[in-house]
Amino acid sequence: MALEVSHVVGGYSQIPVLKDISFDVKDGELVGLIGLNGAGKSTTINHVIGLLTPHQGTITLNGVTIDQDSQAYKQQIAYIPETPVLYQELTLREHLEVTMMAYDLDHEKAWATAHKLLKTFRLDNKLDWFPANFSKGMKQKVMIVCAFLTSAKLFIIDEPFLGLDPLAVNDLLNLIEERKRQGASILMSTHVLDTAQRYCDRFVLLHDGQVKTEGTLSELQAALPEAGESLNDIYLSMTKVDRS
Amino acid sequence: MTGLFKTRLQRHLREMAKYLRLVFNDFFVFALLFFLGGLGLGYSNVLKQLHGHEWWAPLVALLVLTIVAQIGRLATLIEDADRVFLLPKERAMHAYLVAARRYSQVIAQATQAIAIFLLSPFLAVTLGWSVTPVLLLLVAQVALKDALLRMDLASAYQVTGQARMNRWPIKWGLSLIVLACGLWITPLVAVILAIVADIAVAVWFQQHWQTQQIRWREQIKIEDNRMLGIYRFFNMFTEVPMLSGTIKRRRYLDGLFHLIKPTHEQTYLYLFSRGMARGTEFSGLIVRLTVIGMMLLYFIRGEWLPVILAALFIYLIGFQLLPFFHQYDDIVFTHVYPVAAAQRLKSFVTLMTLILSVTAVLLWIVVVLANQQLLPAAVTLIVEALEVWYLARIYTPQRLKRSAENRA
Repeated sequence: MALEVSHVVGGYSQIPVLKDISFDVKDGELVGLIGLNGAGKSTTINHVIGLLTPHQGTITLNGVTIDQDSQAYKQQIAYIPETPVLYQELTLREHLEVTMMAYDLDHEKAWATAHKLLKTFRLDNKLDWFPANFSKGMKQKVMIVCAFLTSAKLFIIDEPFLGLDPLAVNDLLNLIEERKRQGASILMSTHVLDTAQRYCDRFVLLHDGQVKTEGTLSELQAALPEAGESLNDIYLSMTKVDRS
Repeated sequence: MTGLFKTRLQRHLREMAKYLRLVFNDFFVFALLFFLGGLGLGYSNVLKQLHGHEWWAPLVALLVLTIVAQIGRLATLIEDADRVFLLPKERAMHAYLVAARRYSQVIAQATQAIAIFLLSPFLAVTLGWSVTPVLLLLVAQVALKDALLRMDLASAYQVTGQARMNRWPIKWGLSLIVLACGLWITPLVAVILAIVADIAVAVWFQQHWQTQQIRWREQIKIEDNRMLGIYRFFNMFTEVPMLSGTIKRRRYLDGLFHLIKPTHEQTYLYLFSRGMARGTEFSGLIVRLTVIGMMLLYFIRGEWLPVILAALFIYLIGFQLLPFFHQYDDIVFTHVYPVAAAQRLKSFVTLMTLILSVTAVLLWIVVVLANQQLLPAAVTLIVEALEVWYLARIYTPQRLKRSAENRA
């Protein structure tokens, strides 16, 4: 059991956005976090990466909570934010180096991985560029390269598919597949449901700060038999519940 | 339309007031008083050495007044979006532009008056002028500036076809002729000439503007350049958001950066040092204050004054660097990286110590050069060393820990 979120109540202020959320991500598993805008996906992610502290409940990562040992907890996480954020004063090369230093990686090995990743995402000739010169898609690729440089046990990927070109989406999915085989867990939030349906092992459907339902696609289909076959149908029917 | 100009003017003046408050901080006023006092003293010394009837005196006055006549541009406050949104209102823009010229007069004419006032002792000593001719010259200068601003206004329209009325040979030529008449013949001639020129431009403009288009693109460009000049000026003293965010690669510093070993403990030293040096905001501040401090210390002699000033400059720099610690708080990775907060603080303290030490040494060298005595040099060095140690190693961590607690 890599990541275990249990009975978390939390949010940005005293008013909770998340109302008693529980789910888990197992080793070598890709879990999709699905929900409407404002359902609480980003809030959940911010709690998991330690940006927010839960009002109640615990988040455990391979037996460690952030309160017990924040460094050991953070060491296991690699995060790809929805909107790429980069240090304006650092070149691409320096971003990679800072990542290696922060995660205390072996530089020689890390650079070998880095060069492979840079080549995949066609950034290998841009090592001395500043972020200001990158397009949004390129910045996103830099985020991906930095995250997959680490040997994190849990990858947290916030809406990765928007803004990436189809080739990059494909390469990212291959990377995720590769890390899964090595035993890493991935928590991914997305609105691109047909891609999620094809690649995710399980789904957590968030609605209004609560876990509406969770499980594999067949489990979801069994739970909501009238909803339809695809994840898209199930998702739409879930939102309709609230509209009527 | 005059209403539109009024709202814009209020906004503009508020913005200028904000920056002026920042420029004229206590410290700058202090330096400025020194500077002006020195200039005044020099000027009065020069005047004492003159005995009247110098042949070059009118030439100097002519040059000064001609240059001063060009100061004070037409501030239209026109914005880029205006050429889309105000295009249907082109005829009504006339009232707006006239209001703009009226506002521009204030600063421009005040400058003229101050220049004549400052020049009057010089005119009295060298040309033996009494109050009346000086006042007449003032009238001529003001009328001349009025005509020049009117030319700027007329040039906002395509009244003169492709050629603009306010090209610099015309403006400089007119100024030279008017003022030369005033200085060599008699000021009254200059008054008449300036008023005739002003009326001629006014009549001509009045007859033509209604059939002409506004040169939107050029006016916008001129106004942008004018604002850019103002922002650049303010940027010498404080950080202007319209200009900030510039990052320079500064490849020549790479050698220094490579001294930082890429180990886990140095993560933030690696980041902070590059961020500090390549962003212009904080590096500019350090360089500005260090250079001003060095210049000031070069002219200061004494036993205690250099020590106090050197200490003051180190304190000013150190104090203003503190916010840099939070520079990257908005970037999520600052919180996600598995690096302890204590490590981040330690890196910042190291960087502070480095920067302040370099500044201290530079200031110390100037003190030694200026005084060439053992005692001030030794005392300065000891005081600086203690200050850098206290400021960087004791005060900084305490202060940042406290502000972190306040944030949480």
